[in-house]
Amino acid sequence: MSKKLLAGPYLLWMIGFTIIPLALIVYYGFTDRSGAFTLENILAIATAEHAKALWLSLALSLTATVVCLLLAFPLAMVLRSRGRGAGGVIVFIFILPMWMNFLLRTLAWQTLLEKNGVINGILSALHLPSQNLINTPGAIVLGMVYNFLPFMVLPIYNVLSKIDDNTINAARDLGANSLQTFLYVLLPLSVPGIISGITMVFVPALTTFVISSLLGGSKILLIGNVIEQEFTRGSNWNLGSGLSLVMMVFILLSMAMLAKYDKNGEGSTF
Amino acid sequence: MKTKLSLFKKILSDFYLVIILIFLYAPIFTMMVLSFNTSKSRTQWGGFTLGWYSQMLSDPNILSALYNTLLIAFVSALIACILGTAAAIAINSMKPVSRTIVMGITNIPMLNADIVTGISLMLAFIAFGISLGFKTILIAHITFNIPYVILSVMPKLKQTDKSTYEAAMDLGASPIYAFFKVVFPDILPGVLSGFLLAFTMSLDDFIITHFTRGAGINTLSTLIYSQVRRGIQPSMYALSTVIFLAVLILLLITNYRPKQKKVLPGADSSSLAAGSGPEKEGPGIYSKLQKAAMGAAAVLIVAAVGFVSIKNYSLKHSDKLYVYNWGDYIDQEVIELFEEETGIQVTYDMFETNEEMYPVIEAGAVTYDVVCPSDYMIQKMIENDMLAEINFDNVPNIDQIGPEYMEMSRSFDPQNKYSVPYCWGTVGILYNTKRLEELGVDPPDSWMDLWDPALKGEILMQDSVRDAFMVALKGLGYSMNTTNLDELTQAKDLLIAQKPLVQAYVIDQVRDKMIGGEAAVGVIYSGEMLYIQEEVKNLGLDYSLEYVVPKEGTNLWIDSWVIPANAQNKENAEKWINFLCRPDIALRNFEYITYSTPNQGAFDLLDPEIQENKAVFPDMKSLTNSEVYRYLGDEDDQVYNELWKEVKSY
Amino acid sequence: MNQPLIDLQHISKSFDGTMVLDDLCLTVKENSFVTLLGPSGCGKTTTLRIIGGFESPDQGKVLFDGQDITHLPPNKRQLNTVFQKYALFTHMTIAENIAFGLKIKNKSKSYIQDKIRYALKLVNLEGYENRSVDSLSGGQQQRIAIARAIVNEPRLLLLDEPLGALDLKLRQDMQYELIRLKNELGITFIYVTHDQEEALTMSDTIVVMNQGYIQQMGTPESIYNEPENAFVADFIGDSNIVPGIMIRDELVEIFGAKFACVDKGFGNNTPVDVVIRPEDIDLVEPGQGTLSGVVTHLIFKGVHYEMEVTTPDGFEWLVHSTDLFPVGQKVDIHVDPFDIQIMNKPASEDEEAIGVNE
Repeated sequence: MSKKLLAGPYLLWMIGFTIIPLALIVYYGFTDRSGAFTLENILAIATAEHAKALWLSLALSLTATVVCLLLAFPLAMVLRSRGRGAGGVIVFIFILPMWMNFLLRTLAWQTLLEKNGVINGILSALHLPSQNLINTPGAIVLGMVYNFLPFMVLPIYNVLSKIDDNTINAARDLGANSLQTFLYVLLPLSVPGIISGITMVFVPALTTFVISSLLGGSKILLIGNVIEQEFTRGSNWNLGSGLSLVMMVFILLSMAMLAKYDKNGEGSTF
Repeated sequence: MKTKLSLFKKILSDFYLVIILIFLYAPIFTMMVLSFNTSKSRTQWGGFTLGWYSQMLSDPNILSALYNTLLIAFVSALIACILGTAAAIAINSMKPVSRTIVMGITNIPMLNADIVTGISLMLAFIAFGISLGFKTILIAHITFNIPYVILSVMPKLKQTDKSTYEAAMDLGASPIYAFFKVVFPDILPGVLSGFLLAFTMSLDDFIITHFTRGAGINTLSTLIYSQVRRGIQPSMYALSTVIFLAVLILLLITNYRPKQKKVLPGADSSSLAAGSGPEKEGPGIYSKLQKAAMGAAAVLIVAAVGFVSIKNYSLKHSDKLYVYNWGDYIDQEVIELFEEETGIQVTYDMFETNEEMYPVIEAGAVTYDVVCPSDYMIQKMIENDMLAEINFDNVPNIDQIGPEYMEMSRSFDPQNKYSVPYCWGTVGILYNTKRLEELGVDPPDSWMDLWDPALKGEILMQDSVRDAFMVALKGLGYSMNTTNLDELTQAKDLLIAQKPLVQAYVIDQVRDKMIGGEAAVGVIYSGEMLYIQEEVKNLGLDYSLEYVVPKEGTNLWIDSWVIPANAQNKENAEKWINFLCRPDIALRNFEYITYSTPNQGAFDLLDPEIQENKAVFPDMKSLTNSEVYRYLGDEDDQVYNELWKEVKSY
Repeated sequence: MNQPLIDLQHISKSFDGTMVLDDLCLTVKENSFVTLLGPSGCGKTTTLRIIGGFESPDQGKVLFDGQDITHLPPNKRQLNTVFQKYALFTHMTIAENIAFGLKIKNKSKSYIQDKIRYALKLVNLEGYENRSVDSLSGGQQQRIAIARAIVNEPRLLLLDEPLGALDLKLRQDMQYELIRLKNELGITFIYVTHDQEEALTMSDTIVVMNQGYIQQMGTPESIYNEPENAFVADFIGDSNIVPGIMIRDELVEIFGAKFACVDKGFGNNTPVDVVIRPEDIDLVEPGQGTLSGVVTHLIFKGVHYEMEVTTPDGFEWLVHSTDLFPVGQKVDIHVDPFDIQIMNKPASEDEEAIGVNE
C-alpha cells in the first residue's frame, strides 16, 4: 500500500504541469479572443498557407526520419559488433555533441553550408563547382538529421545489443545467409527500437521552428514556425493553440500507426 | 585466421564510423575554430586570438547564463530523480490497469512536441499568475525530465529480485532501511543514467526554456538565441569549446580502464548511460581514480555555483531596476557605470522583436521598469494604456536630444510624453560592388531593383512583416502605413513574385552574410554600416559594401525608452533614461552599438569623419519621402500578418 | 560402414592469448551419440562451435564426411545446433520457428505444414503451432528448439548443454526423449554437458575434456570403470583415489595393506594411483578384511547408506553400502581384485596440474 503512495507527488506534479497546461491549450484552441466557443482555430489548418506549412513539415520530417533510420541502423549494427566495452564508449561519443548547445551546433552548420562556407571552400579547392546548399529544404533535413540522429541510434543500438548472439547463430545454423538473417531475425527483433527511434525523431522534426529558420533562411515556413509566430509575434494565442491541437492529432495518428507494429511495447530508448 | 571477407567488413564498418563521426563533429570543430577567430564574422578568418576566452570570463551575461544553465540542469535533474524514482517504485507495484494509465501520463511529455509543452506551460503559468522567471524554467525542466528518469529506472526495477527486499526485511531491516541498503543499490545505475540523461536534456533545451523564462534570466540557449539577431558573440563559441573539452576530459577519465579480458559478445548489455557509468568494475586503482574525478567534478560544480551565488548575494541592493532591451543594444560597461553611480542594481533582459516583447509586457507576468521598443510599438502601447508618462523633471538631460528627433517622435507619441529617443536610423540597400559588377547589374537606387531577375539567389530580405511590406509598398509608391487592402494585396503579390529571387529572409544576419560575400544585395538597417565598413577594412576584403537609401524613400525608425504603466521602480527608470541621455554615456553607447544617436551632445563629440558619414547620419532633406511606422490597430496588423504568412508559405 | 562423419584434425584455438583448444584431434562416427564432457572452460563448447561454424580454428581442419568445411559458413553446413538457452525467435510463433529453416530452403507450403506437425508430434507438443515462445515453459522451449533443428533433417545434431536450465525431473525425462529421438531419426548427436550422469546415461561414446585436451575417450562403462587418470576418475562419479605402490603384477600396497588386483605391467615397486569406487568397497567384521578403520560419518541416501570410514593413516574412505554400520563401529575394508583400478602417477607437474585442477 505505502509503496503506491510514492507516486503521489509525481502524479500531482504531472496533473499540475502537464495535464492542466494541455487542457489550457485545448481551451484556447476552441475559443476566440473573447472567450466564446469556436472551431475557427482548428479549421484554420485548411487555409492554403497553414495546410502547406503542415504538408511541408510532414514531408521534411518524414524524409529526415527515413534518413536517420537508414544511417542509424547500420551504425547500431556496427556498434553492436564492437561488443559491450567498445560500443559503450562509442555510444558516449554520440551523446557528447549534445553537450554543445543545440543552437550553436545548428548555427555551425550555417557556416559549413553557406555559399562561401567550408564545404563550398573544399569543393572549390578541389576544382568542383560550388553547390547551393543553405536555405534549401535539403539543408533543413540535414539539420534535423544532425540534431536527432542520436535519438534514432540509441534505441536501436539498445535493442540490438540485447539480442543474444546465439539467436543470430541459430538463424545461420538453420541455413539463413547474412541477408536472410538480417531480414527475418535481426530486423523484426529490432522493431521496438526502430519504433521508439522513429518517435523520437519524427516528433521533434515535425514541430521544429529553430532548424527551419536557421538553415532554411526563413524561406520555408513549417508548422512549428507558424505556431511559434502566433505566440511570439502575431500574439494570437487562440490560433496558435488551435494549430497546436491539429499538430498533436497528427502526432497521435502517427503514434497509433506505429503502435500496431510494436505489439509488445518493448521499445525503450534508454 | 581472419578471412578476407571479415577483414573487408571490418574496414567498411570502420570507414562508416569515421564518416558518421565526421558528420557529428564537423560543426563542433567549426565552432572551436571560430572561437579563435579575431573577426566576429562566421565566414571570414581574421586571424588567431584568445581574446574571446578572456572576454567570456569577464562577461557577466555569459557567466550568469552559464550559472543558470548548470544550476537548472543540476537541480531539475536532482528533483526529477527523486520524484521519478519514487514514482517508478510505485508504478512497479501497481496493478496492470493503473500502471498503464500512469505510464500513459508519463509518456505525454516524451511524445509531446517541445513547442506544445513549452507553450502549454507558459499558458498555465500566466493563467495562475505565476510570474515567469527562474522557478518557472525549473518547473518546466523538471516536468520534461521526470519521464526520462522513470524510463531508465523502470527496467532496473523489473530486473531487481523481489525476494532480496523481502530477505532484508526477514533479517530484521525496516522497509526504509531495506530499500536503501538492498533495492536502491540495485537500481542505482538506472537512477544515475536517468540523472545524466535529464541533466543533458536540460542543458540542451532551448524551446521549452524560450517559452517559460522571464525577466532577467537567461540560460545559454536563450542567450544565444537573443544574439542570433545581431550575430553570435564568438565568446559563446569559446564557452562551448571549454564546456566540450571539460566534458570530454571527464568522460575519458571515467571511461578509462585497463585492458581487460574481452567479454564475449552476447553478454547482455545494459542501458546506454549505465553501460559506461559507474556500475562497472570492482574496487581498484582505476575505479578510485574515476571516483576521484567524479568527486572533483561535483566539487567543482558546487564550488562554481556557490561562488556565483555568493557574488550575486553580495550584490543585492535595495534599489532595483528591470531593463528590457534589444539584444546587444547597449555597452555592457554603461550598465556597470550606472550601477556604480546610482547604487541601483540592474536586471537586464533582452528581446529579439517588438512583437516578442509586447505580450510579455501585456501579460504582466514579468514587470519591467524600462523598455526600449520601436516607434509603432510605442504607439500601440500608448493606445492600449500600457505606458506611464515620464516625469521629465527627473530627466534633465532630455535637452541633449536633438529637437528634430523629438519632432519625429510626435508621429507615434504626439505629445512627447511617453518616450525618449535612444537610437534611430533608416532602412536601405546594402550592396556588394564587385559582385554586382560580375553579375552585370548597376548599383541599386530603387527598391524595385530588388526585383531584377539577374539577382536570383543574391537577395537578402528582412524577415519581419512591416519591413518586408515596406519594401514592396514603397516600391509601388504607396505609403508604408497603408491599410488599403488593394494596395496591400498588390504588395503581397509583388513579394511573392520576388520570393524565387530571394536567398533568405533574415533579420540581422544580413550584416554577417554580406561581409562574408554570401549575397549581392541585402535590405539592412543603417546602424550596421559603421561596423560593416570597419570590418571590411580589417579583413582586407577585395570587395566593398555600399549603402543606399532608395529614391522612393524608406522607413525612418526610432527606438525609444518608455516606462510601462506597471513599473515598480519608476524613479529608477527615469534615472536610467537620464543617465543614457548624458552625452558621454550616449557617445559610449554609440561607439558600441554604432546605430545613429539622436543625442546632439554625443554627436558633437564625434570625429568629423563619422559626423559626415551619410550612411549613419543622412541628410534629413534626402529623407522627405520617408515615413515612421505607425501602429495600425490589431485588425490591420492581422491583415498584414495573414498576407505575410501567404508570402512566406508560398 | 561407420566411416567418420566428423574428423577434427589438430584443432587449436585461443581467445585473447588464452589457449582454449590445443592440437585437438577427434573423430565422430556416423550414427553415434558422442558426449563432450568436462568442467566449464575445458573447451567443449568451443569444439562444438567450431564444428557448427560459429568459430573458426586458428589451426587445424574440420572434415565433414571427408570434405573440408573449416571455412564454410554455418548456413552451408549439413548440421544443426540446439543452443544452450534455446535461442528461439521470440518474434515468431512456434510454427514459424520450426518452419524457419525450411522456408529458407524454399520448401513447399504443404511440405512445411507436414513437417511442423511431424516435429511437434515427435517432441510431444502437438497443437502448439500458434503459441508464442514466451508462453512456453523451459522444457517446452527446449523441445521446440530441438524440433526446429531436426525438421531440417541434418546428418549431425549439435547440442550445447541443452538441458542445463531444466530441473531434475524434467532433465531426466528429456534425456529419455533425446535417446528415443536419436534412435527414431538415426541422426548423429554431438552433445556437450558438464553433467557426468547425463553423459553416462545417454552416450555411446564419452569424450572427457579438460583445459583444452582430451583426457579420455571411450564407452561410458570404460570411462567409469577404467579411468585413465585421476582427473577422469574424480570427475566421473565418486571415487576414492589413494596413493599406492605396485609391488608386482596383480598386487598393490595401500597404506601398508596389500590388495590383490588384476592389473599388470606397471613394474615392481612402482608408485601408482589407485581408484576404488565407493560402491565397490565391502565393509566386513574386524579381522575379516584387508584394512581396518572406524565409521566416522553416516548418511541415509535412500537406495544406500553413505558412510565414511577413517583408517589409522587418516584417510577417509567413501563407502556406499546397503548394510548399516553405525558411527563408531570398527570395520574392515575389503575390495574385490577386479574393482581396483590402477593408474600411473602423473609424469610431470604439468600433467598433475591438468589432473587436479578443475
